[in-house]
Amino acid sequence: MIYLNNAATTYPKPQCVAEAHAEALCAPPAGQFRSGGQSGGRDVLACCRKNLGKLLGIGNPERIFFTSGATDSLNQLFHGLERKGRKVLVTQTEHNSVLRPLLNGIAADAVTETVPCDKNGWVSPEAFEERITAETGLFVLNHCSNVTGMVQEAARFGEISKKHGVLFLLDASQSAGCIPVDCDGWQADALVFTGHKGLFGPQGTGGFFLRDGVRMKPYRYGGTGKDGSRLVYGEGDFEYEVGTQNGHGIQALNAGVEYILERGVEKIAEEERLLMKRLYEGLTEMKGVTVYGEKERNRGPVLSMNVAGLRPSELAYILQNGYETVVRAGLHCAPLIHRALGTEGYGTVRVSVSALTERQEVENFLEIMGEIAAAAGGGKK
Amino acid sequence: MKVLETIPSRERCAEAGWHAYDFMLSRPMDDEFIESLRPLGGFLYMRMLRKPFFKVESEHFLLKGIRGDEFFRMAVHGDYQDEVKRVEKYVEGFSRWKEE
Repeated sequence: MIYLNNAATTYPKPQCVAEAHAEALCAPPAGQFRSGGQSGGRDVLACCRKNLGKLLGIGNPERIFFTSGATDSLNQLFHGLERKGRKVLVTQTEHNSVLRPLLNGIAADAVTETVPCDKNGWVSPEAFEERITAETGLFVLNHCSNVTGMVQEAARFGEISKKHGVLFLLDASQSAGCIPVDCDGWQADALVFTGHKGLFGPQGTGGFFLRDGVRMKPYRYGGTGKDGSRLVYGEGDFEYEVGTQNGHGIQALNAGVEYILERGVEKIAEEERLLMKRLYEGLTEMKGVTVYGEKERNRGPVLSMNVAGLRPSELAYILQNGYETVVRAGLHCAPLIHRALGTEGYGTVRVSVSALTERQEVENFLEIMGEIAAAAGGGKK
Repeated sequence: MKVLETIPSRERCAEAGWHAYDFMLSRPMDDEFIESLRPLGGFLYMRMLRKPFFKVESEHFLLKGIRGDEFFRMAVHGDYQDEVKRVEKYVEGFSRWKEE
């Protein structure tokens, strides 16, 4: 099988992740003796926070909170973040995990406005700045598009947000573990990540970072394992991890993050960039194949394409059932960007690599695509 | 050819607003069976692929499959669910006619 659907969930996982998960499941439950998330003499949750802080450029990892993933994190943040104004600016590249909570009223009184992207999925920082008004309280930036792989200029957006006193929320779901992220350097007030993509963790892991001093009211309350006699919280004195944590998952996530730190995210980014370059070049040579975006600026491990004469779902079906090759077809839960790409009808076929994708898999995929493009009426350009 | 079962497909969000079903068949699809679907709509058969792919497209539904598989997929618009039964009858009707 050739697996090129890593933007959905990475596969395979490094061996150490599977081992850590198994080890966690076989060990006595962490916190059983009210001693925190101990495993093998170390506090796994604290250790994972520290490693995530190192990877994501967060100097205060104590402010990283675990959730079930980016969607959960975003819902919590939108619900409770204290904004100076009603307006929430999002980009046209956002995922439904951003759009749906906002457009279905999770953030009380919020009015959502979109900053457009160009046909390559690039969002102009100036276009963002032009839309800021006195009412703008929050800006959400999809760091790396899960459709085109376009990486936005997060540092510039951070500067502009700071200048206007707008809260800056960075969605690093698609970039964490794949390309360097510098949350502090980019002045993000909040950052969300998910565990099951580039961080190589299991599904159902993830979290958010909330900068000290940024106020957020939780949308759920419950047991935290400490100070059990307190029933009512004072203003701003909240806890965000309630109920039993996914300790098993977090132990596996930590192994994934350690794996990335050991290999080096810069090195991973470069290796993935070379694989993507090969994919871009190979696919754009094929007649009848349209690759969206531009390879110079689409630096994430994701690209979108279509083959003339076939709907995306048909191409994915042929690849899956005829060639045991897994990609993904459709809108990829990011419907607005397709208006800019001109693919709003049926979407695209998305191809995505991970740090464990082999060069040979990419070569085999290109050979298969050549065969399909030729059969669909194309060939070499 | 018999349709053993029609089951909702996992491919749900690929065709926005449409529902997908897998038609489980009593034997693998061959050229003759695939050609028999031609009258149902616009027909594409990519014979030159390692595993030849076909699709049949009508106004309200789309069939797709691969020669040699014992199933094909039908995507049907939510407002035209009765087309699923019509296609099922068509497949079984053609096979009966052929056997007679």
